[in-house]
Amino acid sequence: MQIDFRDITKEYEQQVKALDNISFGIERGEFVFIVGESGAGKTTLIKLLIKEEEPTAGQILFDDVDLSAILKDDISQLRRRVGVVFQDFKLLESKDVFENVAIALDVVDSNDDVIKNVVPNVLSLVGLTHKMHSPPSKLSGGEKQRVSIARALAHEPDVLIADEPTGMIDPKSAMEIMEILEKINSLGTTVVMATHNRDIVDSFKKRVIRLEKGKIISDKKKGTYAQ
Amino acid sequence: MHNKYIKNAFNNIKKEKLLSITNIIVMGITFLLLGVFLSVVVLTQTVLRDFERQAQVTIFFKDEIPENKILEIETKLKSDERIFATNYISKEEAFNIFKELNKDDPVLLESVTSSILPASLEVQAKDLSSLPRLAEEFKGLDGVEEVRFFEDVISRFKKFSTVVYSIGFVLVFLFLVISYAVVLSTLRMTINSKGVELEIIKLVGARNSYVKMPLMYQGLFYGFISSLISGFILFVIIIVLSKLGNFPASFGVGFFPNLSISHFVFAILLWLILIISGCVLGYFGSLFAVKKYLKY
Ligand SMILES: Nc1ncnc2c1ncn2[C@@H]1O[C@H](COP(=O)(O)OP(=O)(O)OP(=O)(O)O)[C@@H](O)[C@H]1O
Ligand SMILES: [Mg+2]
Repeated sequence: MQIDFRDITKEYEQQVKALDNISFGIERGEFVFIVGESGAGKTTLIKLLIKEEEPTAGQILFDDVDLSAILKDDISQLRRRVGVVFQDFKLLESKDVFENVAIALDVVDSNDDVIKNVVPNVLSLVGLTHKMHSPPSKLSGGEKQRVSIARALAHEPDVLIADEPTGMIDPKSAMEIMEILEKINSLGTTVVMATHNRDIVDSFKKRVIRLEKGKIISDKKKGTYAQ
Repeated sequence: MHNKYIKNAFNNIKKEKLLSITNIIVMGITFLLLGVFLSVVVLTQTVLRDFERQAQVTIFFKDEIPENKILEIETKLKSDERIFATNYISKEEAFNIFKELNKDDPVLLESVTSSILPASLEVQAKDLSSLPRLAEEFKGLDGVEEVRFFEDVISRFKKFSTVVYSIGFVLVFLFLVISYAVVLSTLRMTINSKGVELEIIKLVGARNSYVKMPLMYQGLFYGFISSLISGFILFVIIIVLSKLGNFPASFGVGFFPNLSISHFVFAILLWLILIISGCVLGYFGSLFAVKKYLKY
């Protein structure tokens, strides 16, 4: 088991449970959809996994390491093994596309040669080579999403987590992004994707975990959006 | 590793030219005001101290005491720690002074010869408050006829100068706090303006030092450059004014009667104080401001 959620509860405010006592595991190399209505707790689940938030109760194991035992100074180690595509992109507005991707390598002390090599590669993987030196403000939603994916992939993470990567883009771009994710998964990277997109979930026939009001109401191998 | 952080700091500075220049100007003006203020306080206290030193005890000697005996006493007094200066006035000099003072009154002058007036020693203390004690001691010296000083004037002046010294120190302290606060909030605004980016960089796997060290070097740079420039301006002003002869011979600070600093040393000290403040504030002020973005 690579990722193991055990009896996790998360309350942002007293009595309001974003996640309510959930348990599940994800194997290495799996492709998992997390689906559910807005407010069901998908983003919260992802935040817990990269220690952007702490669970109120329960335990999360990542390769058998208890996340609550990871010290503040070592969080960066965890984050380097997990690539995250954020729902709101989280791009650096003051930097161009190249620099936005390069930062993921720079923070792990890759040298300049590696950066000059890897960044164009991942950018070509997401089809953005021609926008290498544009600022994020000049990109469409789909393009921003692809920069965000390129950044998440740059340091070759064990796990890629994508929070509604197709949420703000047209169906054609969405399919392109899904192809990228599937390709990454076929190369051995675990992919966890939160989504609202029924068509995508139904056409991929992967494992589907459905959240509702912070609880898991179904978890099926080769599931569909409607179960 | 630190080379990279320094490189990132300078890249930021270059990229944020306008912000950097604004920061250096704001911090520079603050340091300049701080320096001017410190100088004015020191100057006030020096002037006051010079006044204090002009207050004197006069020792009048009995007629039969020979001049060499008095000069001997003077030599002894000169080596006393508490004494700033002494001045011997012989009978003849006393008479000359007397003549000068009363030159419009020939009748009076007729009746006086140099032998009536006593020889005396004028003694100035480094610290006003030691005058009464010194006067008491002089009374016990051999051959002393009378010891005279203006006790009530001196004690009133002493109270006044103590108040001025105290106010000076309080004001310096307040102004230090105020200027430090201005510098800190400048740095904090700079860092808050990129708070979101700092959080993102952490989320993609940066360790804390990756986020904070470039900012600390950046703050160090702003602090160093701004204090260097304002310190230099003050240095030039002080040296020019000193060359023009606008200052007392040397600077002193209240409550430290033995302290006497040359203009040059003062200007250098002030410059150093500003640079140290600038560097420490820039470096640790940035750390302080960035802390809240390192929580997760
Ligand atoms: N920082 C926060 N403070 C307080 N409450 C929060 C916070 N973040 C999320 N919540 C609440 O937690 C619940 C779950 O939110 P979460 O963002 O995980 O939902 P989601 O499934 O990602 O929704 P969406 O599909 O709209 O992105 C919601 O009720 C939300 O209001
Ligand atoms: Mg969400």
